[in-house]
Amino acid sequence: MIHRSLLLSGATLLGLVSAAYAQDSTDPMTIGLHDWSSQIVDSRVVGDILESVGDKVEYVTTDSQAVYESIRLGDVTLETEVWEATFGAAFTAALAKGGIVDVGTMDAVTREEWWFPEWDKEVCPGLPDWKALNDCAKLFATPETGEKGRYLGGPVDWQMHDGDRIDALGMNFTLVNAGSAAALWAEIAAASKDKRPIVVFNWTPNFIDAVYPGEFIEFPAHFDGCEDKPELGVNPKAAFDCGFPGNGYLKKAAWDGMEAKWPKAYAVLQKVNFTNAQLADMAKMVDVDGMEPEDAAKKWLADNEAVWKPWTE
Amino acid sequence: MTSHRTGALALLALALILALTRNALPAGLMRPPEWLVWPFADWLNAAFAFCQNDLGLMAVTRFAAAGIAALLDVTGNLFYGKARWPNLGPLPWTTFAITAGALAYRVAGWRLALFAAGTFVWIALMGQWEWAMQTLSVILIAAPVTFVTGLGLGIVAWRFALFERVLNPFLNIAQSLPQFAYMIPVVVFVGVGPKAGAITTIVFALPPMIRMTVLGLKKVPENVVESGLMSGANRWQMLTRVRLPTARNDVLVGVNQVIMQCLAMVVLTSFIGMPGLGQKLLQLMQSLKIGLSFEIGVTIVLIAVTLDRISRAWAEMAPKHFAKGTPWHQRHRVLVIWAILMGVAFALAHLSPWFSQIERSDAFSVAKPIDAAVDILIRLIDPVSQALRWFLITWVLIPFRDGLLWLPFTTVLALVMALGYAAGGARSALVCLGFFGMIAMTGWWDRAMITVYTVIVSVVLAALMGFPLGIWGARAQGRAARVLLVCDTLQTFPSFIYLIPVIMLFGVNDVAVVGAVILFAAVPLVRYTIEGLRGVAPELIEAASMSGADRSQLLWKVQLPMALPTILVGVNQSVMFSLFMVIIAAFIGTQDLGQEMQRALSTTDVGKGLVLGLAVAFMGLMVDHLVTTWSAARTQALGLEPPKRAA
Amino acid sequence: MWSLAVPNAQPVISCRNVWKLYGPKPQAYFAALTAGTSFEQMRGDGYISAVRDVSLDIAKGEMLVVMGLSGSGKSTLVRCLSRLIDSTAGTILIDGDDIAKMDARALIDLRRRKMGMVFQSFGLLPHRSVLDNVAFPLEMRGQDRHDRRARALEVIELVGLKGREDYFPRELSGGQQQRVGIARSLAIEPDIWFLDEPFSALDPLIRREMQDEFLRLKQILGKTSVFITHDFDEALRLADRIAIMKDGAIEQCDTPDQIVLNPATPYVAKFTEEIEKSRVIRAGTLAQAGTAEGQALSASATLHTLARQIAQDSRDLIPVAGPDGRVMGTLNRAAALDILFGAAQ
Repeated sequence: MIHRSLLLSGATLLGLVSAAYAQDSTDPMTIGLHDWSSQIVDSRVVGDILESVGDKVEYVTTDSQAVYESIRLGDVTLETEVWEATFGAAFTAALAKGGIVDVGTMDAVTREEWWFPEWDKEVCPGLPDWKALNDCAKLFATPETGEKGRYLGGPVDWQMHDGDRIDALGMNFTLVNAGSAAALWAEIAAASKDKRPIVVFNWTPNFIDAVYPGEFIEFPAHFDGCEDKPELGVNPKAAFDCGFPGNGYLKKAAWDGMEAKWPKAYAVLQKVNFTNAQLADMAKMVDVDGMEPEDAAKKWLADNEAVWKPWTE
Repeated sequence: MTSHRTGALALLALALILALTRNALPAGLMRPPEWLVWPFADWLNAAFAFCQNDLGLMAVTRFAAAGIAALLDVTGNLFYGKARWPNLGPLPWTTFAITAGALAYRVAGWRLALFAAGTFVWIALMGQWEWAMQTLSVILIAAPVTFVTGLGLGIVAWRFALFERVLNPFLNIAQSLPQFAYMIPVVVFVGVGPKAGAITTIVFALPPMIRMTVLGLKKVPENVVESGLMSGANRWQMLTRVRLPTARNDVLVGVNQVIMQCLAMVVLTSFIGMPGLGQKLLQLMQSLKIGLSFEIGVTIVLIAVTLDRISRAWAEMAPKHFAKGTPWHQRHRVLVIWAILMGVAFALAHLSPWFSQIERSDAFSVAKPIDAAVDILIRLIDPVSQALRWFLITWVLIPFRDGLLWLPFTTVLALVMALGYAAGGARSALVCLGFFGMIAMTGWWDRAMITVYTVIVSVVLAALMGFPLGIWGARAQGRAARVLLVCDTLQTFPSFIYLIPVIMLFGVNDVAVVGAVILFAAVPLVRYTIEGLRGVAPELIEAASMSGADRSQLLWKVQLPMALPTILVGVNQSVMFSLFMVIIAAFIGTQDLGQEMQRALSTTDVGKGLVLGLAVAFMGLMVDHLVTTWSAARTQALGLEPPKRAA
Repeated sequence: MWSLAVPNAQPVISCRNVWKLYGPKPQAYFAALTAGTSFEQMRGDGYISAVRDVSLDIAKGEMLVVMGLSGSGKSTLVRCLSRLIDSTAGTILIDGDDIAKMDARALIDLRRRKMGMVFQSFGLLPHRSVLDNVAFPLEMRGQDRHDRRARALEVIELVGLKGREDYFPRELSGGQQQRVGIARSLAIEPDIWFLDEPFSALDPLIRREMQDEFLRLKQILGKTSVFITHDFDEALRLADRIAIMKDGAIEQCDTPDQIVLNPATPYVAKFTEEIEKSRVIRAGTLAQAGTAEGQALSASATLHTLARQIAQDSRDLIPVAGPDGRVMGTLNRAAALDILFGAAQ
């Protein structure tokens, strides 16, 4: 036992030493890419920064929920965008299982909420207030929802509790879940052709801001206990009688072996920090200007040297 | 036949009674009661966890995957310059075009050579080089590995009847399991990235290769076998020098199917980290770049056609004779020219980077006009599509779906049993009950019914379009060839590309789902209708014409009945394709098994994914059983050769 | 008796009471079989007796033709003789060795050294050229490339395909393909030659030509042969002896002229009815003991070839001389004329 603990402390010491002085492993790190542009670009930005300090980087496309399992197993080394509302659950679950570490929160805040394109305002002037939206419910009706308005939510596995909220607030709407983010965007694009009124799930930052101007619906503000204490809020009998938290976190995550294997890279990752404006900028270069993510990352790095150089020191 | 009819009618009556007395039925007959729903997913997960952690199977699979990964690193380096051994790549695009052209010329001739070389020129000019090479670097490993493994397993299955009997049900299920169901265990046992993509592809493409090998070996004519034996061949010589070479054509059909399956997986495997064209296609679709994703779709089709034609031509290649004493360079003219051209290509690549890789910014693109065209098209047919959407949703889809969900599950079971009884008697009725009973036991009954509803609506609508088109197409030889070409292209085109346009047309709802599925479901119907009709013996048609049959009598009384067994194979495939596509259509937004499957994939829930996949597979297998049984009876009644089936 | 068979030498192929039954449990069924169970009774029990109690001896250099209609068991019999299939009962000796007792290695060795076989549908390997097809058996026994080629070219020339060595089977006509099949079967210089309806798939004209070719080869090579056919004329043309099969059993096994003259069963008689007997029957067959003066007829000549001589001869008994020139007996002119002019029976 004594030998073993000695060995262990020796190893820890070695780890600390290597964290301070040793070089990173020459094996390539793997960065997970997902299906939205800001994440792809900022992953490339982080990758390029790590390469600039002498590391090798490879990219792999993964599902944005399944990636946490892959990080735990060490198949993916790091993840640059952990959104609170959509991926918080999967991330927290993975943390509990072990194998993954929280590498800090960025300045950017995320907002996910019901959203409408600006042309809705012409037919329903009271927007963005949720009561006004409810009064206009008929404008959003479709054949499959009958008299009620149709709200197109995100994929079911994002677990937004929109149905509960519709019930809690007594809204005259029916929830329809889109199968993917692409389905949401396609719906917005199709509606834009004849300015059909729609209300869909959306979040910021993403490229839709730049292509289709619109606003989030203002629900009763989020408060602690909204989800689990029915007695609180506008409806004393039901939970979920509020909007989503307006400022969700955006975190970085990494495999727990990263610090030992690539100590320098890990130190850089800890300092990486993007703002909402920077992320929107990256998404726009790809989604609006039609650049390739690799090129967008290079351009961003060239334009923002003052931002990222200090992270490498 | 008559006894089947009474049995079927009795079961139908039972179904009717159950439906009519619905309100008086105990809850246990309405929906599968709790004791009938078994926690298969938990058991599977426990089994997987046991294999993964306690048996250390994961170490084994990961070790095997490392082997594949090492191979992928080599092609990755040569094709797109991944920083791995042998650190030679990336090879200039011109070398690929020259090699493909030379190979195609050697096996087929000028036209295919131009096509093959042209494919690579197109890829280079469209600026898709790196993505296409990422895809090819995986396919060119996955396809040969599948070939060798499939050939080996096929030989074993052919040699040992017991092994074949054990293997067969697995192959049946594997071929009707939706692709997503494969990917979840792969993520756990292999990880993500190109190697996971390669392994999923291999697993998915393996069954047809095994099937074709067994088929080919069984088909080797007895007299060839006997002549081999009488020549004193021992067992090994019999296999390697007599049987396999004689089965070459079937084996190569298997190779062709492997290639097609590989390309079908290009887009899907990008969900588990496969880089390349598929990943790019998904990214572009996410930002609604229809034109650019269309360009990628075209590339995938071109690669598929090139590989397909080359392998097919190779199978049919006639060896050349050279007079004695022909010098080496004349016997290997193509090789010499290829070597010279390769030299030129490398030299050019040194002179100008343009001959090495064309940057995205210098590339051509036809995306803008395509986007504009799609835009105009959608605007133009928007009024029609809105009306169609309203009509279908209000009068067809919602009533049908609600009706199906309204039925007690016992009614549905009695109905499928009645179908089984009508097709093949008591045995078939029990088989059908077995398949649907298993679905009830998974506990996903309502979602399964929504899948059933989507598939039925899609196949019926596809049939309304496909049969007339097939009949029209079969009228003339040239037209038939053109229609079949369109079918092939539609089928090779990555299914995901259709999703965005149908959402743009119909919105996120069941009409869009059905619309996307119909495109896939109609293709086999058209194809097999044409093949069935054109396969009717000409002397029969002559005889009927001489009996004074007019064109419609000829069609209804002679051609369609004779072509029915073949057409049924088409129906069978149509159902299969629909099931696969319904799962993919979960990306539009559905409430069926596909949606749960998608969820299982994102939470890497192996057990749930497999259970859902099996539920889908059982539907497919039941339809397959019904159609094959019925078709076999019809074929026998008509005294026809059994129709050819794709494995 | 006019025959090539040498009576006292050991037969090359000797089979005794050979049976081949098809059905669920042939061995058990055979063990319980009582003598005299008919073909139909067995079929009622779910068994087909493809070969029934066949006993044959084939002497060195002899050409035995097995004749029967389709389904009579003749192909099964030849496959039992070559052990392409295992017989259910009985013994088959090849040069005194029981082939049923041979293991796989010995059997392969036997085929590599002693047996050649020609198949009805040729059985050529589609992916190999004529040369490679012919050299195939040599390749199987591991002969070196140079020897293989030399020997294959030799037999290819023998069957008249010189110049087509590099063709592929599909580039040849049916007759040419069968010549390849014949060449292949001869490549290893077999002692025993099996021919399973080699000319049945060919056009009548080609068939005739191939039969002549075959007679020529037989003359040169003098191999012990078992030739299967369903064509009685072909059998008569080629055979030293004919075995006529029906329902798996041999109805009669004798020389062609004996079969024509004395059919053993009504079934055999039906075949012989339509035959122009004078073309089959030889003077020696009709010769009876006795002597006569004057010019003798050749014993091995058919009546057909002697027709003019017999018609013009005025003697009642005409002497017949054997191959050595000695008179072996006399021919009854009236009987000969009856056969020649097909007197009413």
